[in-house]
Amino acid sequence: MSVVTPQAPAGQSHPASPTVRSAWRGSRLIVLLGALVVLVSVLGVLLGSEGTPERRLDPDDTSMSGSRALAELLRDRGVTVDRVDSVAAAAAKGAAGDRLLLVTDTAYVDEYDLAEIPGDRLIVGDVFGLAALAPGVRVEPGGARPRSREPGCGLPAATVAGSAYLGGIVLRGPSGSTGCYPADDGHTLVTFPSASGVITVVGDGDFMTNQRLAEDGNAALALNLIGTGKAVTWLVRPATPPVLDLPGERGQSMYELMPGSVRWAVYMAIIALGVTAFWRGRRLGPVVTEKLPVIVRASETVEGRGRLYRARRARERAADSLRAGTIDRLTPRLGLASGAGRHEIVPALADRTGQDPQQVGAALYGPPPADDAGLVGLAGYLDFMERQISEL
Amino acid sequence: MALTGRAGLVAAVGIVVVLFAPQPGAALAGVCLLLAAGIVVDLVFAGAVRPLRLHRSGDTLVRLGQEATVELVVENPGGRRVRGLLRDAWPPSAGARPRVAPLDVPAGERRKIAVTLAPLRRGDRASVAVTVRSLGPLGLAARQGDHRAPWTVRVLPPFLSRKHLPSRLARLRELDGQHPALVRGQGTEFDSLREYVVGDDVRSIDWRATARRHDVVVRTWRPERDRRVLIVLDTGRTSAGRVGAAPVPMAGAEAGGGGLFVQPDPRPAPGWPRLDWSMDAALLLAALAARAGDQVDFLAYDRAVRAWVSGESRTELLSSLVNVMAPIEAELVEADAQGMVAAILSRAKRRCLVVLLTDLNPAAMDEGLIPVLPQLSSRHLLLVAGVSDPSVAAMTARRETAEEVYDAAAAEQAQLGRRRITARLRRHGVEVVDAPPEDIAPALADAYLALKAAGRL
Repeated sequence: MSVVTPQAPAGQSHPASPTVRSAWRGSRLIVLLGALVVLVSVLGVLLGSEGTPERRLDPDDTSMSGSRALAELLRDRGVTVDRVDSVAAAAAKGAAGDRLLLVTDTAYVDEYDLAEIPGDRLIVGDVFGLAALAPGVRVEPGGARPRSREPGCGLPAATVAGSAYLGGIVLRGPSGSTGCYPADDGHTLVTFPSASGVITVVGDGDFMTNQRLAEDGNAALALNLIGTGKAVTWLVRPATPPVLDLPGERGQSMYELMPGSVRWAVYMAIIALGVTAFWRGRRLGPVVTEKLPVIVRASETVEGRGRLYRARRARERAADSLRAGTIDRLTPRLGLASGAGRHEIVPALADRTGQDPQQVGAALYGPPPADDAGLVGLAGYLDFMERQISEL
Repeated sequence: MALTGRAGLVAAVGIVVVLFAPQPGAALAGVCLLLAAGIVVDLVFAGAVRPLRLHRSGDTLVRLGQEATVELVVENPGGRRVRGLLRDAWPPSAGARPRVAPLDVPAGERRKIAVTLAPLRRGDRASVAVTVRSLGPLGLAARQGDHRAPWTVRVLPPFLSRKHLPSRLARLRELDGQHPALVRGQGTEFDSLREYVVGDDVRSIDWRATARRHDVVVRTWRPERDRRVLIVLDTGRTSAGRVGAAPVPMAGAEAGGGGLFVQPDPRPAPGWPRLDWSMDAALLLAALAARAGDQVDFLAYDRAVRAWVSGESRTELLSSLVNVMAPIEAELVEADAQGMVAAILSRAKRRCLVVLLTDLNPAAMDEGLIPVLPQLSSRHLLLVAGVSDPSVAAMTARRETAEEVYDAAAAEQAQLGRRRITARLRRHGVEVVDAPPEDIAPALADAYLALKAAGRL
């Protein structure tokens, strides 16, 4: 047969890196597609920036979860609706006269400041600081799934409106309160008079959204609750969270105290980081892979069998193996044929080692040891006999 | 293109400059422009990588455990000096050193770079690529490019058992009657008649010839010659198991090293695969049989023929064998004994000695070789050689704690199975050699010599 010896080529080399032109030719489709994607997304962002994100229960929002429809209905009925997004603005409005404060979100306002504002108050949904805004109202654990519910109470605003889409948190009002739209052990609408005015808490604000307003008696309930004739101060979540400044002495923040060059130095540091990353990241040549052989010890099956014996405390099998091994090795040394049985081996072995035949018989053919110590003892005894024979 | 640490340093100095400059914005722009200008100058004035020409020469064959040197001549036909780094990328198990070499080739000249390979595995190792990074005059940026300069080095089995060859050849000469000691050659084939000289064994006097002539004539004998030996290497899953201590470093033969979160493996190093020990034994046997005048063929088989060497002349045999053995790796499949026997029978028309190097694994043997053994042993003389595992023998002897006794029992069980299968093979008239890894090659050679002396080939 012809022996395949490795080819020793003439030693000619050729460049393997692509030229700029071939690199462009090879990847232009991908580059163009990538540029197209970038262009489309940039245009999409620029053109789509007019559409504002959804603001839930906002009187200016026309999306499904906004409340523009309700605000328009109120204005049609001659109710003044003032949208505010801070406690200061709400307090300024509240100071002007007797108004209804509609609270839809308290994530960025101080609830104690808010509770100071006099007048009626309508709290919608699970807002933060409910205990301060509606003192005495307890929230039952669990909550109820929003669905169409019957009023089940004597509150005129509710009975006139009929069934409404309510749920959310389950409330239990203080004594003297009226609870409507029952759910589980409480109600999803609770109203009670307090020192500053009537406080009403609704478990969920979905019935006020543009999406749900036309269903059931939702619109009627909302108009009955809000449109009491008073002007409405509608508190919503601010579009941008207020910046928490930590001013130092003379009201200067940390950024104002820093020299102007630090910001530029940080930009330079980012550039330096990029240069360093490119220096370290550029590999000198390709990563060379290689098919590796599997590394497995031949003794692994034997070790595994030993662990199995150990795990199952298989003393009988272990003792049988040890005895069979000893008998296998001793039989030729005792001058016996390989098929020799107990009645030939035991007397011969006892005779040669000077041990008691009973003991030898028990060690080679007796019952399996009762515990691990017995097994170790048996192994030691078998070892001892083998040594005796080999030293003779 | 590549940047250097110097470019990073310039950018880092730029941070300080921007921090203390009276006009930090302008300073930032200035530093960036300066850096960019430096990089552009470097890229423009660096020696071109693409026109470089590489020429290779050096070793194409190396035994495992030895070092090969491959020389790489870098010729720079361009107009600028190429100064920078060169990496000759070989697979990790080729053990190439240095990994990265400095390079400085003036325009129109050539320089030689020597790469030393210390391979850790058998088989063909090929250079993947040569990468050159050519620095610009400012040392801020470099041009970089790959070249293909193909070169393959075949790593052969080490044939460490050749140290046993002289003593076995001496034994062979004894058989031949060529030994200086005046002992009767123990061959079995009648060679010639010659005159009796003092010291000849009187039993070898041929009385009939002596009566015809006036002189005492003795018969001389010589061992049989021109017999056929077929060495069959089982490359199935059982040959992948690692045994013994590696006499020559090999990938995976070291003990499992610990890492930051990995405990080091307390067990002894895994050693060489059975396949490599078997190859070593096969090479010694082939060398011996070729010297003894026998025709040696070689077959490697698991589920298909992996290698087949036949009809090589005495001088070419060993180099052919190491060449075909070099790329053979153990396949992780159960060997197909029936197919192996069929392959042997179709290749060996005349009666020959079939030496099967495999593992005496009871489970694999019971289902594989034993059922098809009669087909083979009826037409050929079969010798089965298996590498035993010294760590199993060591496990049998450790009996201090209960855990060790359970392990010893498992090891006894394994050895009992091995002895049982050996006895079964011998009942079928098969010769069996079962030896630990270090002894398998001489033991197999001795078994061959014993068969030859007995005239059973």
